[in-house]
Amino acid sequence: MREEFRLLIGLQDLDIMIKEVKDKATSQELKSMGFKLTGLEELQEARHEIAARIPVALLNRYEKLAKRYKLAILPVSGDKCLGCFVKLPTSFFSSAYSHELVTCENCGRLLYILRFNQ
Amino acid sequence: MSAIQEMVRHLEKMGKISDEQFIVEMLKNREHLGSTGLGKGVAFPHGRSLAIKQLSVLFARSSGGIDFEALDGKPTKIFFLILAPSEEGADVYLALLSELISLIQKPSKLDKLMQVKDYPSLIDIFGGNED
Repeated sequence: MREEFRLLIGLQDLDIMIKEVKDKATSQELKSMGFKLTGLEELQEARHEIAARIPVALLNRYEKLAKRYKLAILPVSGDKCLGCFVKLPTSFFSSAYSHELVTCENCGRLLYILRFNQ
Repeated sequence: MSAIQEMVRHLEKMGKISDEQFIVEMLKNREHLGSTGLGKGVAFPHGRSLAIKQLSVLFARSSGGIDFEALDGKPTKIFFLILAPSEEGADVYLALLSELISLIQKPSKLDKLMQVKDYPSLIDIFGGNED
C-alpha cells in the first residue's frame, strides 16, 4: 500500500474512532460495557501527527469529502463505488490496480482497491 | 512480538485484513483511548478500518497471561479481537462486543473459555451457533 494511502486510511480510521467517542449514544454504550474512554486527547494528537504527513492538497481533499460524507475513502466492491453504488468505468480499474487513489466520477469519494490473501 | 501483532498476523494470513502493520497501529491507537482489557483476565481489542475485509472475531489465549494494562491490573489471558470494515455501521460490531462481554460475566463460561482446546468446543460455549 502506498504511503499516502496508508496515511489517509489511518486518518479516516482515527476519525471514525473520534466520532464514536464524541457520539453520546455510542460512547454511552461503550462505557456501559465497561470501557474507559479517557484518551480522546491522545487520539486527537495522533490524528494531528498523521495529518501533518499528508500532502496538503490531498489532505484538503479528504477534509472536504469527510465533511460531506460519513466516509471519504471507500473500497471498491465488484465494479461499483460502495458510496453511491454507481458502476465504475473500465478505465477506473487500470488506474486503481496501479495503486493510484481514484475518484468516483459520480460522488467524488476517494476509492481504493484493497488486496487480501486468498 | 506483541499480543496484538500476533493476533493480527493470524488474520492477515487468513485473508481477513490487507495490511498487518496498518491494523496493529489502528488497534494501538484504540488502546490509547483506554485499555480494552476489561479485567477478569479478558480483553476485547476492537476497531474499524478500510483495511478489514469483513467482520471478524479472533479468539486467543495466553496460559501465563499478559500485561495488557487491564482495568483491574491483572494479567490478561483471554482475548477477543473484533475487527469490522469501516463501511460497517458501529451498531453491528458494538452489538457483537456487547454480546461477548455479557458472555464472560457468567463464571462458568469464563472457566470453559480458559480451558477450551479446539474450535468446536469454543463454538459450543457460544451455544453452538457459528454465526
